[in-house]
Amino acid sequence: MIIIPIPALSQRTYIDENALQPAQVNTYWNWADVHRADQHLYQLEALRDRNSTHEQRALFVRNEFSKLGLAASTQNYEFSTSSGPVNGTNAYAIRASPRASGTEAIVISASWVSRIGEGDGTLNLRGISTVLSLAAFLKDHSLWAKDMIFVISDNYLDGMHAWLNAYHGTIPSNLETEPLEHTSGSIWTALNIDYSGHSFSHLGIFFEGLNGRLPNQDLMNAFRLISSYTGGVPVTVYDHFEPSEFPDKWDEMSMFPSWIPSSVRKNAGVQEYSYRTRNVARHIGYQARGKASGVHGLLHKFRIDAITLYAVPAAGPHGFHALGRVIESTLRTANNLLERLHASFFFFIFTSPGTFMKIGTFLPSAVIVSVAMMFGGLGEWVDAGTTLQKEVLASKSEVERPIEQVKWTPRRRPVLPAIVIMIITHIMGLLLFFLISSPSFCDNQLILSPVLFGLFSILPPIILSAVPQSPPTAAPLSMLLKSLNLCLSSTIISITSVLNFSLAATLAVTLGLPLTLATPSSNVGLRFTKYAGYCTLAMGWMVLLPRELENAIWNWQVLGVWFAPFVCIVYMPLVMQAGLVTLHRS
Amino acid sequence: MHLHWLPHSCLFFLTCFAALTARTWATSTSQDEQVSGFFGRHESGSGHTNNWAVLVCASRYWFNYRHMANALGMYRTVKRLGIPDSNIILMLADDVACNARNKFPGSVYAEAGRHLDLYGDNIEVDYRGYEVTVENFIRVLTGRMEPSVPRSKRLLTDDRSNIFVYMTGHGGNEFLKFQDNEEISAFDIADAFEQMWRKKRYNEIFFMIDTCQANTMYSQFYSPNILATGSSEIGENSYSHENDYDIGVSVIDSYTHYVLKLMEGINKTSQTSMQDLFASYDPVKIHSNAGVRSDLFQRPLDKALITDFFGGVAQAGVFPPDDPTAFVTTLKASEPALIISSAQLNAESHVTPSQSTSAVAPSGSYADEWSTQWKVARKWASITLLGLLVAWVSHR
Repeated sequence: MIIIPIPALSQRTYIDENALQPAQVNTYWNWADVHRADQHLYQLEALRDRNSTHEQRALFVRNEFSKLGLAASTQNYEFSTSSGPVNGTNAYAIRASPRASGTEAIVISASWVSRIGEGDGTLNLRGISTVLSLAAFLKDHSLWAKDMIFVISDNYLDGMHAWLNAYHGTIPSNLETEPLEHTSGSIWTALNIDYSGHSFSHLGIFFEGLNGRLPNQDLMNAFRLISSYTGGVPVTVYDHFEPSEFPDKWDEMSMFPSWIPSSVRKNAGVQEYSYRTRNVARHIGYQARGKASGVHGLLHKFRIDAITLYAVPAAGPHGFHALGRVIESTLRTANNLLERLHASFFFFIFTSPGTFMKIGTFLPSAVIVSVAMMFGGLGEWVDAGTTLQKEVLASKSEVERPIEQVKWTPRRRPVLPAIVIMIITHIMGLLLFFLISSPSFCDNQLILSPVLFGLFSILPPIILSAVPQSPPTAAPLSMLLKSLNLCLSSTIISITSVLNFSLAATLAVTLGLPLTLATPSSNVGLRFTKYAGYCTLAMGWMVLLPRELENAIWNWQVLGVWFAPFVCIVYMPLVMQAGLVTLHRS
Repeated sequence: MHLHWLPHSCLFFLTCFAALTARTWATSTSQDEQVSGFFGRHESGSGHTNNWAVLVCASRYWFNYRHMANALGMYRTVKRLGIPDSNIILMLADDVACNARNKFPGSVYAEAGRHLDLYGDNIEVDYRGYEVTVENFIRVLTGRMEPSVPRSKRLLTDDRSNIFVYMTGHGGNEFLKFQDNEEISAFDIADAFEQMWRKKRYNEIFFMIDTCQANTMYSQFYSPNILATGSSEIGENSYSHENDYDIGVSVIDSYTHYVLKLMEGINKTSQTSMQDLFASYDPVKIHSNAGVRSDLFQRPLDKALITDFFGGVAQAGVFPPDDPTAFVTTLKASEPALIISSAQLNAESHVTPSQSTSAVAPSGSYADEWSTQWKVARKWASITLLGLLVAWVSHR
């Protein structure tokens, strides 16, 4: 896993879909359109300064769309969560394709709140101005073979989520909204525009979706080509600048501490490695937790290839003009599509804007750990099946010495108690999940977290003591429990690795060694210390990472991210089982 | 008294007639050479009397704009050089002119800058969209058609037809993709040509193909009188030539672009030969090694004119009356075909007026000889009569 960021393992990106034809068009977006965007920006800033409500803002946007003659409307929504209701109003407009049947659509969206600081409240006013101005500009061209849907979604993520669910008719039980007034065909691609600063120097690509879904790589590669060649704007992965582009800023950008000699830190290879490590780490951070790195991530669920174009705030040199041209050209490329993007990769790690890793290159790192755990588990199972016995055979004659013979004798392996314990721990995980996602937990998180932690740490030993000790002729429970625990973990890591590599890699790191090293010991003190350690590993997040917990629950309740239930029902019980193994007397 | 002018007029007529007779006597031996020298081309020796073209764009979709432009560029050339729409079978697998992504609706351009609209006016697409299939293409070539198929969709050729077959699309080693769902192989085309040869459906074929690994497509031909050329060798791609940045796609393939560039300099009376066309291939410009196959073709390439295939300038079939044996053998070999041919030529006389003069009424050799003798006798009889008249008038 450490070698993943090494440049030699990555390969160059390429365009796989013939139809895309990126960066092969003249763009017509000009300064008049920039002026229009500026005017929209003044109006939006006035709205912001008046502290206008969600409805007022949405109505303003809807009116602007209506003035252009587009079919525009608004949508109110309200999610009920354990931490209180989440509500807002979206505005959207549809521009029907002038010459095609309108069975396919492209979404161009901007959320009110920018993704800066993961939705801490910075407004995405320039992004919205861009979309408003684009609507006016795109309307005047007749070459769009797909319907254009402009969505200005409220808040950061929840607005778009409500809109998408209403559009596709998959309204969850905790969402209250009216059906959309205007609809179009199936959405194939989407661009989300995030431009919150005054100007920008780079366009960053954000691509991770909910539950670790990724868009087709062709979209990102096409965008990168267009941005560099048509728009003249360099592209970055996230907002990480490439060290080779800023040789003078290597000191600020380096992730190494200052005690490492500068000759090492200044080395180009080391710089490149550290840059790629940051990208991979950021990717794993989003994907393992199933978090969307921007509004685009919500669309992947509906098999829509979407990315966020993030205008990295800077003093310059680019603004509406460059952004408009890049978007126009990217839309022309998306417009060329004849079928959904399918040719390129859906499983990849972007190590730098122009290089990526295929699934075949990075997958083995997690699978090897998983295989090692499986062998560990099987080895434990075999060991449990036999026991070493020394026998002294009676000598036939007194002259000969008695023969001491080592003999492997088979013994019974009662798996039932082990399986019962495992099932109980998983049921406990389920219980824990329901408790932490209840409204009362949300209100008293600070008090309840340590209480729950203590309760769920003490419960398993009590249950364990109720399980009858295995007779000496049978294999000890701890061996069987460890064997089954390792096999189950290995299976889970292998399966997860093809669905969500980052999660599998995280599991391999957090489960691999701790589960393999779980052994019973004779010392009571050591046993309980070990057990306490496993409890912390399993449930420490409740006490130590309250903010993360809150986010994970919000993500589950509003966006349907599986991370919180996964941790409670799969991860926590697995670690607790290892903890129970250590509680046994050897 | 009213006959006072008669002697003068009779003398005048006699003089004229005498002059005419003298001229006829002097030239009657070289007339056939003159006629065939005027209509035929003895130095090229093609011997065809009509020209046909089959132009196929086998691929669809917007990003294959250039293949439509390739075929339409060839269409423009053969039409400009005189092949009428009735003799052109144009197959276009897609309609890019009316594609919703086309910034210039109803137009197809083959060069950046868009100076010449290839879809401008008077375009007759015979097979379009999903009609462009391998089956239909082979049916067109071999003439195995449902009775209901209109004449405009048929290749109504005979054994004196020169056919230009142009194909473009996406291909590979010995195949060309049709419509993204089927392929024609080099063997299919070779067998179709053999069928055509057996059924006397052509005199000569010029086969041109622009696709990846195009030269493999003519590798399997085994029928005579076929000249073939392709854009790239086995293992080689054929590349597009240029993009138009307003249309947003490549507008023409490199090989076809350079062929068409040469064709633009050719008119109906051009004496440019196939040798010149093949010599113009430049692998550096085309980005692939265009190939030629001439082992089946029985004429020297420098004698085969480009207009033998691209032009509609047909030679007349002139049968020398004083060589009856040759005529009889020709007649025996191809009696039905010849009748069709002459009927067809009459039918098409409004298109190419020169063709109407080429129709030769077949007649038996004895009758021919007898009529010549009768003419001579008649001539002498009238001269004698006139002489008598003159004598009688002057006697009075």
